[in-house]
Amino acid sequence: MKKNDLKSMGKSFTKYILIIGALLILLDFTFHRHEYFSFAEIYGFPAFFGFVSFVFIVMLGKWLRKFLMRKEDYYDQ
Amino acid sequence: MISNFIPGLIMIIASFLLPIIPQYFRHPAMLLSVGLSALSLFNGYGTFLEWDILGLNLILYQSDSLTLPFAIIFHIAAILVIIFSWHSKNLMEHMATLAYAGSAIGALHAGDFFSLFIWWEATALTSVFIVFAGNTNAAKDAAMRYLIIQVSSGVLLLIGACLMLYQTGNHNLAVLDLKTNFGIFIFIAFGIKAAFPLLNGWLQDSYPESSVTGTVALSAFTTKLAIYALARTFPGTDSLIWIGAIMTAFPVFFAVIENDLRRVLSFSLNNQLGFMVVGIGIGTELSLNGTVAHAFVHIIYKALLFMSMGAVLYRAGTTKASELGGLYKYMPFTTIFCIIGAMSISAFPLFSGFVAKSLIMSSLGGMGMVLIYFILFFASAGVLEHSGIKIPYFAFFAHERKNKVKEAPINMLIAMGIAAFLCIAIGVFPKYLYQILPYAVEYQPYTLDHVISQLQLLVFAIIAFLFLVKFKLYPSEIRSTVLNTDWFYRKMLPGIGKPLFKKIGLLTDSLYKNLGLSFKQVLSKSYKFSNLSYIKVTTPSFAGTILISILFIMLVIVLV
Repeated sequence: MKKNDLKSMGKSFTKYILIIGALLILLDFTFHRHEYFSFAEIYGFPAFFGFVSFVFIVMLGKWLRKFLMRKEDYYDQ
Repeated sequence: MISNFIPGLIMIIASFLLPIIPQYFRHPAMLLSVGLSALSLFNGYGTFLEWDILGLNLILYQSDSLTLPFAIIFHIAAILVIIFSWHSKNLMEHMATLAYAGSAIGALHAGDFFSLFIWWEATALTSVFIVFAGNTNAAKDAAMRYLIIQVSSGVLLLIGACLMLYQTGNHNLAVLDLKTNFGIFIFIAFGIKAAFPLLNGWLQDSYPESSVTGTVALSAFTTKLAIYALARTFPGTDSLIWIGAIMTAFPVFFAVIENDLRRVLSFSLNNQLGFMVVGIGIGTELSLNGTVAHAFVHIIYKALLFMSMGAVLYRAGTTKASELGGLYKYMPFTTIFCIIGAMSISAFPLFSGFVAKSLIMSSLGGMGMVLIYFILFFASAGVLEHSGIKIPYFAFFAHERKNKVKEAPINMLIAMGIAAFLCIAIGVFPKYLYQILPYAVEYQPYTLDHVISQLQLLVFAIIAFLFLVKFKLYPSEIRSTVLNTDWFYRKMLPGIGKPLFKKIGLLTDSLYKNLGLSFKQVLSKSYKFSNLSYIKVTTPSFAGTILISILFIMLVIVLV
């Protein structure tokens, strides 16, 4: 039981976030979202931008490890 | 009398009295000194204290609409730090913290570059003891590097101030530009403390090495003092827009792969400063209001996040993501406070970050700066990644924890509770924050367009995180060092310098040796020569030699 605490929390969290995400996209169709730049007014643009940015940041960061990562005692040597 | 007393000075005086105050009364005394200093907030605007010295007019205490919001938040930060460190008995750290906060408050009220310089150095000299208080070898080394860089910033400021006085006859704080040489010196001096790109290494180097409570104090004052100074002297400087945009974007990638969560927060601090710098660069009333509002709320939620990590360090003994996780069970209150800080910095609607960041984003949008706008929008997803998700996720969730730890001490919970309350209160009632901003601007952050747009960005970024974790694409935490710009002076320069100086040393050694040998030969020859009977030269004494050389020089001068 104890071991599954985090897992079940994660599962229900994922469920709620997906529902909220879907609602936010649906909301976009109910009114015209005014933005400073016209292309940002496309349905679901911020959602798309957020998702892609996040994946890009994590993936580029992961790739940068090749160049930037050293051993923990790097500066002590 | 109190109205002419420089704000913050009373805190510095109190810090010197701390050793003779009994242990139990130290924290109340510290709070009292902050309270007395805070009375200055009711003085209104104007110049209250000037000092004529050596033909210079120093404006030691002046206040206006830009000073006030910073002064308010610096006093609040000082109170939070004192409550958070209530359990600690480290006298040196208490003295340093109180004097550091006092110096930063004093600096806000300086009206000329020389007074600013004095306080500028005072913040450096007091805060270095806070880094020292980390009490490890790494902390001591970091403190020395920190001191060198902070003092360098002060020296550049002094050079700029002297040049300005020499060239213009004026040394009062005024709007400068980058066409003058003193402007450039002062710009770089401020840029070091504001952690501009490439000048940022000291921040991520020193802050995470400080003590449990020290990092909270450090995170509040130095960098925001630099933001205040930039806002006062370089508003509307175009290059700041790009500098700021780079600052928002770059630290994001470093924060993704950093293992030490307090260092992640230091990268995040750097990224937040970027938003403020962009606001200064735009230089409109709306954007400067945005910068000040952002600095105000940022100090609170950044302190809250550093406090939560401080509590984790205090109880679990580390802030390395690779060794943490599952603390939510044992530190539930800290977890909740940390999540409130994380939601504030990520700018969720109804939290303080939202009402401040909106001002800067709106001014960018209003000016039609599409590229910078989307760099900052992109960086907002980055903020959510490292501060919104990574910090709470790896510290409190991630996986189950085997050994128990205790919840944070009550004083820490109170300090975090106050900060969390302020984060939500400002988010829900932004008009009180807007009232104290430098310019009167009507602004409504809560429009449906804006709220939906921001929520879509954040929620889908969270979905991206869940997606990456689900498919095991999210980088696992590895014990490591991530190279940063401090690498240049910690590895590269010694790497070049040490062998170079060794070679130069060898070269000069052999040079001296050869010189010595030939000198001996010449000496022995001249000795033989002088001993020849037909030419008896008496060697002149030292005084004689000097006299002859002076006569010779005089002869040359006369001839010329």
